[in-house]
Amino acid sequence: MKRLFRTCLLASAMAAGLGLSGPALAAEGPGNDDLLNDAKTTGDVLTYGMGLQAQRFSPLDKLNPESVKGLVPVWSFSFGGEKQRGQESQPIIHDGTIYVTGSYSRLYAVDVKTGQKKWQYDHRLPEGIMPCCDVVNRGAAIYKDKIYFATLDARLVALNKDTGKVVWSKKIEDYKAGYSATAAPLIVDGKVITGNSGGEFGIIGMVEARDAETGELVWQRPTIEGNMGTLNGKESTMTGVLNASWQGDLYKTGGGATWLGGTYDPETKTLFFGTGNPAPWNSHLRPGDNLYTSSTLAIDPANGDIKWHYQTTPHDGWDFDGVNELVSFDLKKDGQTIKAGAKADRNGFFYVLDRTNGKLISASPFVTKITWAKEIDVKTGRPVYIDDNRPGNPANAEKGKPVFSAPAFLGAKNWMPMAYSPATELFYVPANEWGMDIWNEPITYKKGAAYLGAGFTIKPLYDDYIGALRAIDPKTGKIVWEYKNPAPLWGGVLTTGGNLVFTGTPEGYLKAFDAKSGKEVWKFNTGSGVVGSPVTWEQDGEQYVAVVSGWGGAVPLWGGDVAKLVKDINQGGSLWVFKLPKA
Amino acid sequence: MTALPTRRHLLSFAAAALAAGVLPRRAGARPLDDVVAAGRLMVAVYRDNPPFSYRKDGALVGVDVDLARAIAERLGVGIEFMELTAGETVSDDLRNAVWRGPVVGGGVADVMMHVPYQKEFGLRNPEAVLFGPYQREAFALARNPMRMTQPMLASLPDEPVGVEIDSIPDFYLLGAFGGRLRERIVHYMTIPEAVDALVRGDVAAVVATQSQIEAALAGRAADFPITPVTFPGMMTSSWDIGMAVKENSRDLAYAVGDAVTAMLEDGTMQALFRKHGVTHNAIPVE
Repeated sequence: MKRLFRTCLLASAMAAGLGLSGPALAAEGPGNDDLLNDAKTTGDVLTYGMGLQAQRFSPLDKLNPESVKGLVPVWSFSFGGEKQRGQESQPIIHDGTIYVTGSYSRLYAVDVKTGQKKWQYDHRLPEGIMPCCDVVNRGAAIYKDKIYFATLDARLVALNKDTGKVVWSKKIEDYKAGYSATAAPLIVDGKVITGNSGGEFGIIGMVEARDAETGELVWQRPTIEGNMGTLNGKESTMTGVLNASWQGDLYKTGGGATWLGGTYDPETKTLFFGTGNPAPWNSHLRPGDNLYTSSTLAIDPANGDIKWHYQTTPHDGWDFDGVNELVSFDLKKDGQTIKAGAKADRNGFFYVLDRTNGKLISASPFVTKITWAKEIDVKTGRPVYIDDNRPGNPANAEKGKPVFSAPAFLGAKNWMPMAYSPATELFYVPANEWGMDIWNEPITYKKGAAYLGAGFTIKPLYDDYIGALRAIDPKTGKIVWEYKNPAPLWGGVLTTGGNLVFTGTPEGYLKAFDAKSGKEVWKFNTGSGVVGSPVTWEQDGEQYVAVVSGWGGAVPLWGGDVAKLVKDINQGGSLWVFKLPKA
Repeated sequence: MTALPTRRHLLSFAAAALAAGVLPRRAGARPLDDVVAAGRLMVAVYRDNPPFSYRKDGALVGVDVDLARAIAERLGVGIEFMELTAGETVSDDLRNAVWRGPVVGGGVADVMMHVPYQKEFGLRNPEAVLFGPYQREAFALARNPMRMTQPMLASLPDEPVGVEIDSIPDFYLLGAFGGRLRERIVHYMTIPEAVDALVRGDVAAVVATQSQIEAALAGRAADFPITPVTFPGMMTSSWDIGMAVKENSRDLAYAVGDAVTAMLEDGTMQALFRKHGVTHNAIPVE
């Protein structure tokens, strides 16, 4: 108390002396430069992705394949309540506090040292929200004195970081129209940048920037060709060219949701947002590439203009979508250093792009079976389709023939973020080996009316494993090592300068691997499935690791035969903190 | 292919996985005795689903709403409504309305209105009992007779045609005749919006469910003839609408079903549809 008082005095004295007004400095959290430097500062974790480029790499090396054996839990914090379900969050660490989001749009501030709760914000969720894929949240963002997160009723909420009190709350979309929001916001140059999610029909994807102080909209960028963007309340530029890759008025409802949020590269001053699958689901009704669905968009953070795009699945007919994160990194190849970006796509290919222009450098499979395309042609940047394996047109048949397709629609990699180590120059990709049968469904109903649907059922490819954590060399596309997991992997990955890779498993473990060899060197069972993203930081000379535990997400909901394999995993909801005690 | 976790109703499959009871069980849908003892029937109706259930000047009105009131009256109990936001498929809606409740809580209703009554669909949703069909739904074409002289899909002139997005008419017309009509299909979020566009002259015709077209046109129907249509080669051109209760509440279903049968026999049902400007289509005895 006394110290706090002194700090406040000092702050106001300084403010007075410098002629500044506004909040006391003590309450000021990280600024833009702190966010830009997050990947290098080891005492905090200020951004989703542990750096805006989202490499999820920490230079910390006190923990290594030997010393990690001494990593022990310090405390565990329960999210409480009757509500559990999937915990897919990544904690934010700042100034002695962990900010972590939980299922059902909850946010907690917890003391790093003691695990004592400082405050909790429970978003009041209206009846009638329709989250598509469990009631998850993937994390918060911090900037200055506020902490931000998106809620299941498609709002963006800014809270005072010290009190948890709402500063502003803005509607991103209308939850009654089926929209939701689960991704962590991204903060660049004082703007909170978000995507949109939900509503499989009648929507278009959108990237939006809001003023972090007020929540006022700065720009909007629709992801579908033919729709107009806005800047400062006025029309700005059209996305692509009207009717170039969409017929009729389909572009108005073409899909392409940006439900996983984005990353930012300060070197090229570019936002990267992945876009979802096109609508309607029956690809035969929408000939053309359907730009910019199942793509990565490079966007100028100042005005929302599109710099370039790369479409991973043109004319997507498999519900792959292309939301996966693009991770910026330096590709050292043939004596050159290329400003590259990598994306492990749901469609099964690991893409390396030149992030200054979107040109394809290489694309290689990161799962064992891909049925929809033979390869990606590096010259054209386009897939070489296997036409027979495109799901049939229901208009041509009473009942379409079932097509077996791999990867399954939950993707060779789903939402869970990969990591890149500049030390080993390898990517660590949480992959899943599964396929699906797709067929045209004879009769389905929607809001009481007949509807023409497609039937999907997911099937594991192998008896002994579905999940595979794979180390991939971006120079060659080769898989250097792999760890096989019986249940599908659904959590994020962390890698460190101590030659370690961390990830969680639905079986409940947080595991550590030797980053070069893939040898499992440590594990701890958290009591429920781990589908969140681990982080590490240093405090008082000790290296800490934190991860959330709580099984859920899309697998138990949509996993077909796979859901049966994981049905006995108990739910949970807690934050675990570990450290390597001083010798 | 037994579980049928179809893509647009993945959550119905979800439902099965969740049925294991991981969420705290709240008061389930109740058997008849409980409803009578409580003196109140909780009925789920769709939000924004004119002419069946929607808000007019703030009040909940419509065919389904009136029908539910009449049923409660015949059972001698009061009524409460639960407004339901439609999910991706009716399987989601059944989960939310009658057998598990919404994901954020709030409990379930005793009866859900406006549920397709069809055997295969029922088998896919074993957690609910489908019963009491009260309307045969079908598709129809409403047209501006000056711009479209023949009410035939095969001879649509080069004029814009309105549909509800993601509906069967939408899919049919987008794909029909090798995609020839695709450039002229105009998508609306709701059928009333499409019908307004027809009246305004933005489109020359609308293809949608007959009952919704009739209600939306209402007094303007004389200027825009309505003709039933079927979709050759497509599997579904008509279906029946009934109700659902939770699997453990069959006796409630029998009581409600008896009330519906009585209303069909004494003409109450037909009058009720007429009041809302909708033709009641009897369900043929099989």
